[in-house]
Order: sequence, then structure tokens, then C-alpha cells
Amino acid sequence: MKSGIVTITLAVGLACSLWLLFVRAGTFHLPSNQQGYEPAQPIAYSHRLHAGELQIACQYCHFAAETSRHAGIPPANVCMNCHRLVTSTLGALRAEDEAATRENRKARQVISTELRKLYDALALDAKMQRDPQREPRPIAWTKIHNLPDFVYFDHRAHVNAGVICQTCHGPVETMQRVQQVPDLSMGWCVNCHRDATRTGIGGKPVQASTDCSTCHY
Amino acid sequence: MPNAYWRSLKEREAEELQPPKSETVPTQGEIPSGPGRRGFLKAAGFSFASAWLAACSRAPEQKALPFLEEPEGIIPGKSYWYASTCAACPAACGLLVKTRDGRPIKLEGNPGHPLSQGGLCAVGQASILGLYDSRRLKGPVAAGKSATWEEVDRELGRKLEAVRGQGGAVRLLTGTVHSPTELAVIRRFLAQFKDGRHVQYDALSCSAILDAHERTFGVRVLPRYRFDQADVVVGFDADFLGTWISPVEFTAGYSSGRKPEFLRFCYHIQAESRMSLTGTKADRRIPVSPAGMASLMAEVAAAVEGGAAAGEAGEIAGRLLQAKGRSLVVCGSQDTALQMIANTINHALGNYGQTLDIVHPSRQRLGNDRELELLLRELEAGKVRVLLVAGANPVFELPGGEAVKRAEVVVSFSERPDETAEASHYVCPAPHALESWGDAEPAAGLVTIRQPAVRPLGGARPFVETLAAWTGRPQAAYELVRTTWREEIHPRQRGQADFETFWEQALQRGYAETGSSSPAARAFARPDLKRPAGAPDLELVLYPTPAMLDGRHAYNPWLHELPDPVTKVTWDNYVSLAPGAAARLGIADGDMVRVESGGRAMELPALLQPGQNERTIAVALGYGSLLSRRFADLGPNWIDRAPTVGETGLVGVNAAPWLRFTEGTLRFESAGVTVTKTGKRRPLACTQQHHTLSVPAHLAPSPREPRPIVQETTVARWNGERLRQQPLEPDRPELWPPDHTYGPHRWAMVVDLNACTGCSACVVACQVENNIPVVGRDEVVRKREMHWIRVDRYYSGPVENPQVAHQPMFCQQCEHAPCETVCPVLATVHSAEGLNQQVYNRCVGTRYCANNCPYKTRRFNWFAYARKDALANLVLNPDVTVRSRGVMEKCTFCVQRIQEAKIEAKRRGEPVQDGEILTACQQSCPAQAIYFGNLNQKGAKAAQMMTSARRYRVLEEINVRPSVGYLKIVRHESAAGGEKQHG
Repeated sequence: MKSGIVTITLAVGLACSLWLLFVRAGTFHLPSNQQGYEPAQPIAYSHRLHAGELQIACQYCHFAAETSRHAGIPPANVCMNCHRLVTSTLGALRAEDEAATRENRKARQVISTELRKLYDALALDAKMQRDPQREPRPIAWTKIHNLPDFVYFDHRAHVNAGVICQTCHGPVETMQRVQQVPDLSMGWCVNCHRDATRTGIGGKPVQASTDCSTCHY
Repeated sequence: MPNAYWRSLKEREAEELQPPKSETVPTQGEIPSGPGRRGFLKAAGFSFASAWLAACSRAPEQKALPFLEEPEGIIPGKSYWYASTCAACPAACGLLVKTRDGRPIKLEGNPGHPLSQGGLCAVGQASILGLYDSRRLKGPVAAGKSATWEEVDRELGRKLEAVRGQGGAVRLLTGTVHSPTELAVIRRFLAQFKDGRHVQYDALSCSAILDAHERTFGVRVLPRYRFDQADVVVGFDADFLGTWISPVEFTAGYSSGRKPEFLRFCYHIQAESRMSLTGTKADRRIPVSPAGMASLMAEVAAAVEGGAAAGEAGEIAGRLLQAKGRSLVVCGSQDTALQMIANTINHALGNYGQTLDIVHPSRQRLGNDRELELLLRELEAGKVRVLLVAGANPVFELPGGEAVKRAEVVVSFSERPDETAEASHYVCPAPHALESWGDAEPAAGLVTIRQPAVRPLGGARPFVETLAAWTGRPQAAYELVRTTWREEIHPRQRGQADFETFWEQALQRGYAETGSSSPAARAFARPDLKRPAGAPDLELVLYPTPAMLDGRHAYNPWLHELPDPVTKVTWDNYVSLAPGAAARLGIADGDMVRVESGGRAMELPALLQPGQNERTIAVALGYGSLLSRRFADLGPNWIDRAPTVGETGLVGVNAAPWLRFTEGTLRFESAGVTVTKTGKRRPLACTQQHHTLSVPAHLAPSPREPRPIVQETTVARWNGERLRQQPLEPDRPELWPPDHTYGPHRWAMVVDLNACTGCSACVVACQVENNIPVVGRDEVVRKREMHWIRVDRYYSGPVENPQVAHQPMFCQQCEHAPCETVCPVLATVHSAEGLNQQVYNRCVGTRYCANNCPYKTRRFNWFAYARKDALANLVLNPDVTVRSRGVMEKCTFCVQRIQEAKIEAKRRGEPVQDGEILTACQQSCPAQAIYFGNLNQKGAKAAQMMTSARRYRVLEEINVRPSVGYLKIVRHESAAGGEKQHG
């Protein structure tokens, strides 16, 4: 009787598994494999525009990558270095300028919807001054490249060894919305470490350790 | 042949009465019936299918919130260190506070600090947990209800105004206060009243020392003891390495005088009633009852002053006379007569000005028991109108402490709802020391700053701010400290003319050395050395333990679970008796006994303590505090659990009511007690027999050979072989192919057993650094404590007065590690740097590795130990994985620190320097007994120590090639070497 129940349970389990294999074979991921993850962000920030077209260096914004384990998401004051003046796209600004000339009036301030969110987070008023009536609110970005808690990845070690950002993050400069390109599995890390030890990075010999305690402690 | 060591009386008996060796392997009983192999496979199949289903889901979404405006110089993910001052006890050691992303996560000793010299004790290490204590008071309390600061200020302001007008006694009762700012604020506050007085007391009082110096030198000071200058140290009941005054400073000094490498080897005699931590390190230990101490000291004094003495007194005097001006006599008694004898001996030997400094005295104990007694009498008589209690818990700590309730208004400044807070009308909680500005002057002329490392987590207000508000001059603590430093401290020094430069420098270093103006001592006035008569019956001695001290940290589970360095008991206090006395009374380990005297009684479990004086029983103070109520739910919740707290709902029993005032001092001894068996039992959670390295008696070969786990040598033998160098590698034949090739790094550790005092600071340091959980009393009884380091304590010699050895034991990072070969999933493997790596995410929990570990240093997570308290979780080190249930763990040589140093060195483009990586245990060690470094680096300290002739490896004969070396204990005479032992 007891073994009958076990057999039925197992059969149902197997049937489910086969069905899932059939239905989701194309999108199957091992647990925690987030390859292709492309969540919407609170501000539709475009890496294609900033890193691609405008060619701003990665480490202008992610400045901690060289000195800290985290590359860091830039604090809003880094955005404000430019966006204190640049409040919208060039097209929108030009259009307003032309409209103003046409209508013979002073050009109005044009603020794009996405940048409005940045100014709101900083609680800035129309004159780009801190509005004491409002509370500044940090921007809650959604993490894309997520490693499990038992993995200690260190940006410093990689950036200083000459690994370019795209090796792990993919061609970010072409992405409108950032997506996870490699699967960031351990096998993927280890293969790269082995290759780096064999071939060096940018012609420089390196010792990329494959000891467990390099990443797990 | 090595000494015969034993860890407990049972082990000693087993050794003496060897049972006939059985020929066959003992049977393990029937193989338990249950689900067989097929059942297991079925279940495994089902689990696989479930995992398949689970795999279809994405990981949960995670948010990242960057700063809006990042503070300059702070980069997320990097650790920053701030110099500060420890506030866990009045010793005020120097601290470096490690903060990460805005929160302090670790306290370490400040290596530049003139007193503590880089060490930090277990209590100091553990005090960081108090910051993240969710049961701290978050705001003021008035008449049992939470109130706002405005309300309390208004109400108390009215009451104080009334006293100011009508007169009446205002008393401020505190522990030792040596903070210049606090003293200035207190002075200003009390000056408002016609009858205002500040009374200081110490629950672990040293009042008799100060009184004795007042009588003999005319100044009421506590000398600064210079153990580093002494060649002969004689301790009379003074546990200076464990709990007495300033243990970290004294341990540093003491061990610097006992470095065999430098041919300096101080001789230490300890006469004491119970086995203290200090007694375990003594070259010569004399068990004396407190009553016998008086006559022994008087005889020594007479002999030192030119008389003759025989026996033990003659021996002590002989040693002392050989080291005039280079010896030190310390006495822990609270009997002023005994302290005056100690002064006389030190004076006769010319030690004042050499090993005792009364020109720049210590200020670590300033309590005055005479004034305290007077205050308690005033309180009893109802003469006190307003009583303010800060930094003390008199209701818990003092006999008759309930008298505080007799004051018209009682105000407590407790951080937590303790006994005194419950007896107070108002509680004005002070913040944790890491949240507020402050300062300290632990020795005259040495002023230290305490700087906050985090914004206050609750609504507490610093004591000085509260008093300043009630003085009518509300000021922030920062301003108060700066003002004191500008007006008082800066003019005292001559180095820096500009205050801002001086302040910045002091802030950066954590301390400033200034001159001091102590009152000059007059010439020594020889007291009349009367010889008090000894009491012949059983005496009770109350003592502090290195973890619990006076009970101020009874909220701290790390300290409760820290095994006592001598008895290895956790989570309880107990009556310790000499085995001989216990046998006479028919008492065994774990029997509940009733201690009675003059109408008082307490019931506690008994513990048989080798080396204790036969006429003495000892009970630890600091237990039975209301603060330990919180441990009722501690430990994993499962069907067979037992509570951590006792029947009273508290941990242990408060012995403080047994303290008594005699001749103006608070005494720790009571004569004429009786001990009776109650018939009940409470086995103690004692770790001394857990994880033993010795072979069980029924499996041991016959004749029994002691394993050379602890090794000793004598001064004479050491002098002969001192210059011999040992090869790094053992030359034993190997079955293993030499398949480990090491790169530029090969990590190794050397532990100097001669320096190690067993103080257990390393155990707590490791616990904080590596996120080691607390398991609770019941789990400790089941041998499931999680500490990665244990300090094994071995006895050798006679039960009445054994020699003691301490041996820190942790993963030995073997080159041919037995754990590695048995792991079926390769969760523990060897690294190219000599580390035996434990990979938590790969471990499936077979526990084969722990079974095969010859050193028994692996720990298994039997449960997911509670991490429900979100605030307490903030103390976790973000660089170390929090292990889940079913995972094996062990010492990693603080691999997170190794990685950090290596990556930083690579970033700078240079090799890792020797001394750049300090493991947590090494950093905290007050005796500097631990060396860690790279064996492949020429001149590295650890590599040098590895070649010392004193170095050995534990269980070298099994040839697992550990990366940890131990340096032999050097004794003046050996217990087993056939030399005359103990007189």
C-alpha cells in the first residue's frame, strides 16, 4: 500500500517534470541563473546614450570599481554634474528654442520625464535648488547582475588586472535597457580564470586563482 | 616522555584505573531500522523532481539604493577604521572601530595605545553586540511609562529647582569616572546644590588598595603596576591576567617579561584560594585560604624586612630579595591591612618608582567604599532627596542595594531595563559608547577620546548632555568634550601650541599624552603590621569571571556562551569546591548544593575544581541579572529542547548579596558558611570534555601512552637548545605524493603556548569576525557549540595543586588533511596557498570530515540558528557567509582578510607585506601569542617562529602536516621532569 503511494507520487512527479521540460525547455534556467534578465528600472536610464553615443567612460559614474569590491551605482550627485544643466534631450531643447524664437518669447525650461524623476528624488525645485518642503528619496534601482550571497566578487581585483567591464557585463554601451548577458555561473567564472592564466590579459601575464576560497568564504 | 595531562577529574580517574583492554572493537548496537536504500532513492527522486519545479522560478528581485549625495571619502564596500576608547569596563583600552557602510562591525585593539598595546579582551570584543541590542531603552521612562526628553527635563527640572531652593541631599552614584569631561560636567551640576556629592564605587572594588596608599603614602591613589618591568611577580589573590583592574594592559606587560627568546623570563608566584586564570600561568602556585593569606603575607613582609621565614613565605621572600627593585607584589584582597602589608613589602624591596608608579597613578579604579557605605546609610535613613545613578547597577551589585529606593527621587541612566532602572522613578538612558562623544583618562597623563562610529540607533541621550541640560546649559556631547579638551587638556601638554592640531592628532591616534598634576606622595609611613587571626572553617569567596565581570554585560549571549577559561563552564555560575572537600561532603559535579550562612542561602550546582584551597568555596559574581531574562527563548526550537535559563528565568544566581562591608571596604569573602547537598542535580554546560584529542580509555593501547599534545620544556633545557634551528618541514616518510605546489603565498600560524594565558579574547574575536552563532545552553550540553577556536585547558600533576596548560585549538590547515579525502562532494579541498578550504555552498552535511578530523575542530550547523532579530543582524560581517543548517564550518585563517590584503596589495602593485594580514584572533590577543604569516616569505615573523627550537606540531606522529605550529611552554621547573615540584 505504502509503496503504491510512493510509486504514484513518483509517477506524477515524473509526468510533471516531463511536461515542464517540454513546455519550458527553451527558457529553462538552473535556479539563480538570471541570464537575459532585463528588468524595468525606476528611471529609464540609457547606457546606449551615455556610454555609447556620448562615450562617457564606465568609471566616470561607477567610480568605486577601482578601489572597492562594489563598482557601485552612482550617487545622484554624480548625475547632477551634467544634469544640473542638461535637463532634457538635445532635440527637445532645440525644439523649444526654435518655438521660442518663432513665438518671440523667452525659452521655457524643458525637463524630460525621466530627468524629472531624478530631480524629484533629490527634492529639487524649478531653479535646481533643494526644496525644503520635500524629503529627498533615494532611487531604488533593480539589481541585474546578482551573485548568490556565498560568492564574493571583487571589482577591484578585476578592474586593476585589466579585465574590461564588457567581459562580465556584455556590450552595455549598446543597451537601451541593461540586460544580463553571460549566465554568471561558476563554470563561466572558472573558465575565464583558466583562460586568463593561460593567455594573460591584454598581453600581461596574470595568475587568476581557481582556489575555492578566491570567491567563497 | 610527555607529561600525563588530564582535562577533568573523570579523565584522570580513567587514566589511573585502566580497564582491561577489550580484544574486539566495541559493538555499536543494532543497526537502526528505518527507510532502507530503496526508500532513500525514492525520496531522492522526489526531491530532484521538486528541485526541477523550483528551478522554473526566477530569483527574487533585489533593490540597490545608492546615496543621493555621497559623503566625500566614503566608498560603499570599503571598511574604515576610527580610533576610540573601549567603554566595556573602566580599564578604557584603546580601540579601533571597523565600520563598513556606516555601521560598526568589529572592535579591535589600538596597536599604538600605551596601555593596551593592541590587545582587546573578550568583554571589549563582545561589547559591540550591545550597540545592536533591540532591547535597549529607546527613550526616557518616567514612572514606568515611556516619556519624551522634554517631559522628563521639565519634571525633573521642577524637582531639582525645589531641592535647590529648599536644600536637601543630592547624590550622584556612579562607577569609576575618569573621563575629564564627565567629571567637569558633574562638578558643574553638583555645584548648584548646597548638599551635592558625587560617590564613586566599583562593584569589583579595589578601594582597599587606595585606602592603604592613603595610610602609607598620604595620597589616595591606585598605583600603575608595571608588569613589564618586573622580574619576579608575586600575586596574592589578584587575578591580574583575568579580571583585576586592567587585564589587557597587565597581560601585555606580563607576557613581554616572559619571552624566552629574549632570555628574559620573569618568575611568577601566585598565592590564591581558588584557581584563577592568573594562577594557571604561575610558575609556583600556592593554594591558600583567604584567612591564611594574612599570615602568609605578614611572614613574607617580615622576611623581606630582614627577618627569617621558613616554608612558603621564606621561598617567596627569597625570590623577592633576589630581585629588589625589579619585583612586584600585587594583592587583590579588600582588607586594607593586607594591602598595607603589600605596600610594605613593595617599599622594602624598593619597587616604588620602578614597578609601581604612584607619580602617574592609574585611574582605572577610583571607587571609595567608605563613602559608598555612608551613602547607603544615608539612603536607609531617608536623608537623600535626589539620587542619580549612572554607569552602575547598585540594586544588583551591592548588598543592601535596594536602599536606593528610599530616596525621594531616583534617576537611573541605564542603557537597559536593569534592576536599578526598575527601581527608579525616571530612567534617562545613555547611548552605547559607539554612539556618542566622550573621553577617558585611564592613567594620569594619558587622555583618550571616544568618538562615535554611528548615528544613535535609538532616542537615548548622553549622560553628559542630560546633566548639562539640568545644569541649565544644554550642550552637545561633542561641544562638551571639545571644551574640556580646550580648557583642561590642551594647556597640560607642551607638544602642540595650536589646539586644533592637537585635537586632530589626538582624534586620529585615539589618545594624547599630557602631563598630570597628581598630589605628591609623602614618604612611606610604615604601618603597624598586625597579624589577623585566621578563621578555621569554610570560607566563601566571590569572584568575577573574565567574561561576566560584575554583570554589566549580562545581556550579551557571546559572553555567556564563552567557556570560562579555567572551568570551561558556560551559561551558569556554580559553587566550585576542592575535590578533597567535595569528597568529604559527598558532593559530585553537577549536584545542587545549598550554601548557607547567617540566614542567607543560595542554591547552585557544584563544580569540583582541582587546585582550589580545601577550606574555600568560590561563587562567581555577575550572574542572575535581570538582563539575562531575555535568554528564555534562546536556542533552536525543537521537540527535545531545554531552556537556557534556570528555574528563576535567569542565567545563574546573583551572589552579590553575599558581599559585605567590613572596616570600610566591600569584601568578597564570608567566613563560616555551610554547604549541604540538596539531592537535586543540574549538570553544567561544560565544554572541557568536548572535542577531545585524547584517545578514549577503552580504545587506548596498553600501556597507555600520553599523546604529546601539549609540550613543555624547562628554562635550563631551553637555554641549551635556544640557538638550534628546526627545519620547516618534518622529515617523516610520506605515503602521499607531493602534489601540492605552493605559489608565492603559503599561510601558516604559530601559537606561543608560553605566552597564551587562556584569556579567550580570541574566541570572541573569532565569533564576531566570522558570524559564529550562539546556540544556547542545551545545545552546548549536546557538544554543539560553534566556536571555531576553543582554548583547551590541560592539568598535570597532583589534584591538590596541578600545573595548567592552555592550548588554543582551531583548524590546523593540514597539508595532508584527513577531512579532504573523505568528503564525497569535494566541499573541503586544499588551496594553492596552503589553506584547507571549506566551501559552504557545496557542503551537503555528511559530517565525514568532522569524524575524520584528528583535532576535532570542525563544527556542524545542526540548526538554522535564529537570525530573527534584524537589528542584531547588523553586527554580521558582510565579508563572511552566514552559514545555513546542515553545513560544516571551521576556522578559515580569516580568509576574507587574506583576500582583502592580497587584492589591495595587487592594486598597489606590490607584494603582501609581513604583518599586513592579522587574523581576528591574532589581532585581539593581549599576550601577542599568535603569529600569522607567509612561510614562503623570507624574514616573515611566522616563518621565523616556525624554525624555533620550541616549535612543535600537535600529533606530529600522524603526519598530516598541519600549517599551525605551537611553541612549547617553558617552565622554571617541570612537573614530570623529576625535579622538585612545589616545595
